[in-house]
Amino acid sequence: MSSPTRRDILRAAAVLAAAGTLGACGKSDEDEAGGVVTVDLWHGQTDTGKAAIDALIKEFNRTHPNIKVEGGGGGVTADSMLQKVTAGLAAGSFPDIAYIFGSDLASMTRSPQVADLTSALGDRLKDYWPAAKDAVTVKDKIRAAPALLDSLCLVYNKKLFAAAGLPLPKAGWTWDEFVTTAQKLANPAKGIFGTGWPGVGDEDTVWRLWPMIWDLGGDVVSEDGKTVAFDKVGEQALGTLDRLRTDKSLYVDPKPGGEQLYQVFLGGRMGMVATGPWELPDVIDAGLEYGVAPLPSYSGKPVTISGPDTWTVFDNGSARVKAATEFVTWLMEPKQDVRWDLEGGSLPLSTTTAAMPEWKKHAASTTGLQVFVDALQTARVRPTIAAYPQISEHLGEAIVAVLLGKKSPADALKECVDQSNAVLAVPN
Amino acid sequence: MASVVGTFTLDPRARKAAAKRRTRGEGATAWAFVSPSVLIILGLSVIPVLWSLLLSFQANDLVSPSRWVGLANYKALAADPAFASAVQHTLVYTALYVPLSVVGGLAIALMLDRPIRLISLYRTLVFVPFVVSAAAQGVLFSFVLDPEFGAANSVLHALGLPAQGFFSDPGQALYLLVAISLWSGTGFCVIVYLAALQGVPDELVEAARIDGAGRAGVLRHVVLPTLTPVTIFLVLFQTINALQVFDLVFVTTKGGPLGSTTVIVYFIWEKAFKSFTAGYSAAAAYALAIALLVAGLALQLYQRRRTGKALR
Repeated sequence: MSSPTRRDILRAAAVLAAAGTLGACGKSDEDEAGGVVTVDLWHGQTDTGKAAIDALIKEFNRTHPNIKVEGGGGGVTADSMLQKVTAGLAAGSFPDIAYIFGSDLASMTRSPQVADLTSALGDRLKDYWPAAKDAVTVKDKIRAAPALLDSLCLVYNKKLFAAAGLPLPKAGWTWDEFVTTAQKLANPAKGIFGTGWPGVGDEDTVWRLWPMIWDLGGDVVSEDGKTVAFDKVGEQALGTLDRLRTDKSLYVDPKPGGEQLYQVFLGGRMGMVATGPWELPDVIDAGLEYGVAPLPSYSGKPVTISGPDTWTVFDNGSARVKAATEFVTWLMEPKQDVRWDLEGGSLPLSTTTAAMPEWKKHAASTTGLQVFVDALQTARVRPTIAAYPQISEHLGEAIVAVLLGKKSPADALKECVDQSNAVLAVPN
Repeated sequence: MASVVGTFTLDPRARKAAAKRRTRGEGATAWAFVSPSVLIILGLSVIPVLWSLLLSFQANDLVSPSRWVGLANYKALAADPAFASAVQHTLVYTALYVPLSVVGGLAIALMLDRPIRLISLYRTLVFVPFVVSAAAQGVLFSFVLDPEFGAANSVLHALGLPAQGFFSDPGQALYLLVAISLWSGTGFCVIVYLAALQGVPDELVEAARIDGAGRAGVLRHVVLPTLTPVTIFLVLFQTINALQVFDLVFVTTKGGPLGSTTVIVYFIWEKAFKSFTAGYSAAAAYALAIALLVAGLALQLYQRRRTGKALR
């Protein structure tokens, strides 16, 4: 028997390398040895949010020796998570848990890979805010766990109000008062604006309009889901934006992401901005003298929107689904929830958490935070329907057309209603 | 004598066996060596191209099972006003960017093709914008062109001119994108033309001068004809770049305001990753690929006919 020649060895090495390349394309369904189930988590968090979730993962892995959560983050921020996960689903290589925005959940659940959490979470959600429950319920089934809760309120700059000699905004004020106040606050010569609105036409542009629509008795879609339900009242809501524009009191943020809108506010050049509780740490860092008030309304009754985000669980085999579900339910428990709220910037997911002394202390030490929590009582969420992203796109274009003064509110609304009804007419 | 010949002649059977050994042994070894790159090319280029062709005949939302729809995606594409305006925006962008960058590049290259002091510094400076990535350019210019706080409007204000909307103005955004692309893309044309200008034969220029040609005459009859192959290359290269523009749009305007800067590739991205109609998006991508192919072939044909004429 002759020893293998150099050529044989090289050939074998090449074959092995090729096999390795191919093998890497597939994914293993096997659990690791020793009965430890690995859970792949794409959280999409950065900065403080990442630090908070990393600490919680560490704690979970320490207390649950049979499960190992790997918080890789998926290499994208939460804003791009939908694209990343969808590409992963198409390729058959997806995480066990991903951070999915509530407005995207319904279209995500068209995938058969999204786990149904109805039996695991059904009872647990009882003392959670209605907004948190509604956001994860698609077609009467619970398709995700609530991850982050917020509500839209108005943060204002006290200094600018004092300079203009105006009374501070208070609960129960109307959009009319808002528009006049914004006009008085604005000082175009000095580059000071009354308020602002994101002007790209994405979801950030659109979600701020829904509380106005709801307040006027409209809705996103009709009861039967066949037509939009803002065709009658939309013009009035868009008209309010149009007045802000013609008054020159509105800053329209031309950049995607809406960051600049808040930069203008943080720089002390904007009187009021509608935002979520996640903006408060930055406002405090900027050393701004601020206050928080509920959103104005037309009727004088309080109404706002909540845009909850979700932990969506994907099916990579029953063992991993079970482990992933265990992790997300553990995260929702008040003990963990309160840590996530304090460090990650969410509002308490449940009334139990909101009643905890840790949260109460935190809320008392942060100006205005309680206003956001109180707003949850009347906060509604966008419907979890698959057509929502498309309706949002059309409404976003209508809002931008009004913000830029390219169309009248009536024309912009009519076009948007026609396009959205065409979307809803397609059977799903 | 015969023995000498014999040493040089191999038995035909032995030669056949050697050939067989060669094909079996060395052929397999060769394939073993190239197989990693073959797999990579197949896996990362050929299969995706074919897969997306199949995708363009399907209704596919990337998450639920797909359905075969034949040519329906292409038919819908032909009737889609959004796609028509994306094509229109791309054509406007290309029609402005390609001629301006090539002609501008030539003009600057001619200016820089002379022995003056600090010439290498000027050449480097012209090329610098090309090195900046499109994403960085986008961020840079959206700061400069911010309608409220940007430097551009401050300058206009100082000159007593009215403030502009820039990227917030649907009538300006696309032309601004052309301007930004020119700022960076012209540098590439300059460098290529500068290199080509070194290849213009001095004796031809000299001969033309002796025959009484002025500067314009030399340029028209000697320099430009010599540069033609380079010009054709640049036109093709810049056309492909222009038809594929995406990153700059993604960073600055996201297709807005009001869809005024939605170019074809951005349309493809939007359809695939915002509306999740992957099949439709693949059809649009193939429409673009065919357009690129036609543009490439047309220029190739022109080049061939031209050289054929020159030889005759």
